[in-house]
Amino acid sequence: MLGWEYPPHISGGLGTACEGLTTALARHNVEVIFVVPHLFGGENASHMTLVNSQGHSQKRLEGRRRGKEAPMSSRRKPRASLISRRFIPAVLKPYLTPESFKVYTASLSLSEARQVVREITTSPGDSEDAASESHAGSEKPRVRPEQYGRDIYAEVGRFASNCASSLSQERFDIIHCHDWMTYPAGVALAQITGKPLVCHVHSLEYDRSGLNVNQQIHHIERFGLQAARRVIAVSYYTRRIVHEQHGIPLDKICVVHNGVYSSEAMFKYRKGKSWPAKIVLFLGRITFQKGPDYFIEAAAKVIPHIPDVLFVMAGTGDMLPRCIERVNQLGIGEHFQFPGFLRGQEVEEMFSIADLYVMPSVSEPFGISALEAIKFDTPVIISRQSGVSEVLTHALKVDFWDIDRMADLMINALVHEELRSDMVAMAREEVRRLHWDAAALKTREIYSSLL
Amino acid sequence: MPSVCFYFQVHQPQRIKRCSFFNVTCDPQYFDDEHNKRVMQKVAQKCYLPANRALLKLIRRLDGAFRCAFSITGVAVDQMRRFAPEVLESFIELAETGCVEFLAETYYHSLAALYDHKEFKEQVDLHIQLMEELFHQRPQVFRNTELIYADFVGHLAAEMGFRAVLAEGAQDVLGWRSPNFVYSVPEAPIRLLLKNYRLSDDVAFRFSDRRWEEWPLTADKYAHWIHSVSGCGDVVNLFMDYETFGEHQWESTGIFEFLDYLPEAVLLHPDWSILTPSQVVEKYPVVAELPFHRLTSWADIERDLTAWRGNRMQNSALEQVYQLGRDLKSCSAGEDRGIMDAWRKLLTSDHFYYMCTKWFSDGDVHAYFSPYESPYEAFVNYMNVLKDARQRWLGNTRPETHEQRV
Repeated sequence: MLGWEYPPHISGGLGTACEGLTTALARHNVEVIFVVPHLFGGENASHMTLVNSQGHSQKRLEGRRRGKEAPMSSRRKPRASLISRRFIPAVLKPYLTPESFKVYTASLSLSEARQVVREITTSPGDSEDAASESHAGSEKPRVRPEQYGRDIYAEVGRFASNCASSLSQERFDIIHCHDWMTYPAGVALAQITGKPLVCHVHSLEYDRSGLNVNQQIHHIERFGLQAARRVIAVSYYTRRIVHEQHGIPLDKICVVHNGVYSSEAMFKYRKGKSWPAKIVLFLGRITFQKGPDYFIEAAAKVIPHIPDVLFVMAGTGDMLPRCIERVNQLGIGEHFQFPGFLRGQEVEEMFSIADLYVMPSVSEPFGISALEAIKFDTPVIISRQSGVSEVLTHALKVDFWDIDRMADLMINALVHEELRSDMVAMAREEVRRLHWDAAALKTREIYSSLL
Repeated sequence: MPSVCFYFQVHQPQRIKRCSFFNVTCDPQYFDDEHNKRVMQKVAQKCYLPANRALLKLIRRLDGAFRCAFSITGVAVDQMRRFAPEVLESFIELAETGCVEFLAETYYHSLAALYDHKEFKEQVDLHIQLMEELFHQRPQVFRNTELIYADFVGHLAAEMGFRAVLAEGAQDVLGWRSPNFVYSVPEAPIRLLLKNYRLSDDVAFRFSDRRWEEWPLTADKYAHWIHSVSGCGDVVNLFMDYETFGEHQWESTGIFEFLDYLPEAVLLHPDWSILTPSQVVEKYPVVAELPFHRLTSWADIERDLTAWRGNRMQNSALEQVYQLGRDLKSCSAGEDRGIMDAWRKLLTSDHFYYMCTKWFSDGDVHAYFSPYESPYEAFVNYMNVLKDARQRWLGNTRPETHEQRV
């Protein structure tokens, strides 16, 4: 499997989904080698082999960090063996557009940039130089930050070439890659080894950008999806869009809905006295795809009827400044809070104290966060344009553009505690059933059909 | 000399329109005439008209040996008058044969017996008047909405002068006893007729189920089962929703042929007859008093009230709408017949049925008949209507927001 993030080092739902899927696959006797661009350590992946694209496994790296020298694998090609201790940069994030990627790396301080550079692998053409460099034992950055780490396509290409060179000797039956950035790697590996390729679509450029698709990414998506023997979409909604946008025949696309990753420890956080009576939560990237602007317009209609309500928009994204501006323009600033990107326990706490979670996504392949909100006894209002609305019955559903209806549902949900508690009671039951096992079994069936 | 007693329920709620929270007293009509008309006309074609025709044929062919009973709700009659008058005419025709008995219930098919006894009696009175006006019969037998029954319902019916009341022959209430006898209500001069749920549901639910080991059900086989009650029962009460004939069981299942053959198959056995509820009460002695230790109904497997009062949304909505009624009656709005009629139409049990969350995978039965996508939407819509109604009728500028909730 080719991915690019794995918990806890994640920036979105993809890593969580991969963790859930792989753990369940392991339970069903499927052996997984999961490849990411960068290993940070601390990933909890004992159920499978987690490696970076040079084929360094998590265990091997941790061994190295403790000062032990790990033996080189004789299976690796000579060229790769000269490139030691190089990692694909951590700047490779799944949700960045090429433009924001540039902005991100520009924002790094010089020392951070140096750190990134130190960790960066050279492009294939430079490998001989890199080899001589490592033999010299020099840690001095060879190239200035501006020269690489700025072009996301080069990163994708690098990932692909590393995977192709270091993994082609590994033993596996299926290549399963997640979202566009891994498709070139998947296609390369499939071409070299002749193994069947499965491309998994968690999200599309179309979802992220609507009509203003980045043509290169769109093209890479198509490239991967067409080369794949089978495509897996996370919802019927996404399947339809894959078919419409990329012309992939419907019978080549299977649907495997994301399950819910069950975690045992769930704390019930208490709302402090200083919090207002009613909290409505928006949690996700503040970007076009997630419909934050619709959330704000609906909130404006709710506020006159529910004086002490607080709308929390937790997340960061390119639309954040515009949202803050709009909130101020509407004069409802005192009813809003923007706490930024939350992680781990903060997310759990937020879900816990919220009275209502709203997911007004414009186009959401699945929407795993809605299921997570329910785990914390928070009722949800979800957009019909989301994959999760296909599987979740105990929720309030609305078309993302129908601001009046959204406000109508929000007000009723906030006013009527009995509505919230009945919905949550039933939804928790439902969510329990949406195990990752179902997803894993379906995935395994797909694998079997290709062998 | 045992008998079979057929009783059919005829009901259509007045479904409410989509009402947004922001619908600030602009649309005075809460009820969706368009939708209700479509449903009434559809059911008229699939069920009421063909079934009535079938019964008329039977009555004439058997020369009075076939009899049955109906309870038609007031809200259903209102809709027939407006949307399908020919249906009402065919019921009148049935009444004129002298072989059809009409029972009484709450005009608005409401749960008033559980919330407001005075209101309950008013609704029953309204219904009695309607039956007299339409069919020239004064009902002698009572059945409560969805056969909701406990001892106190029997007492209420007795107070109103009824001779008998219908109830579900729920297993846990009966215990070792059989539903095939006439019972009496403890401490009240009123008889109790119990539905034989096994045989009734064989027709109402299982008739077209191919997975049922008794499928296909022929009139002969069924009559044979009925006959086996001989010697250990006086009456087999077959109580069912009239929509069994054509709506729940489509014409293509053969349900009309079954109905056509059945009476003669039963009457083949010379001991047996087919009687109305009043005739049953006349003919057979009471075998025992039968106390009901819990509230029962004819709904779902539990035969209880969880279909209408099973969750918090339902209970809250019911409390609030009855409170609205009390508020209306305590002021001049209570004199306004239009307002009272509209309020009462909001009491129809169906509105709360649509909010039921009981079966989430088995939601099929509930879902097919619900105009809402989910029970939550049903609740939201109903509460929006209540809020608007309260503002409109009582001129309450105090909005029903969280101030009342906290």
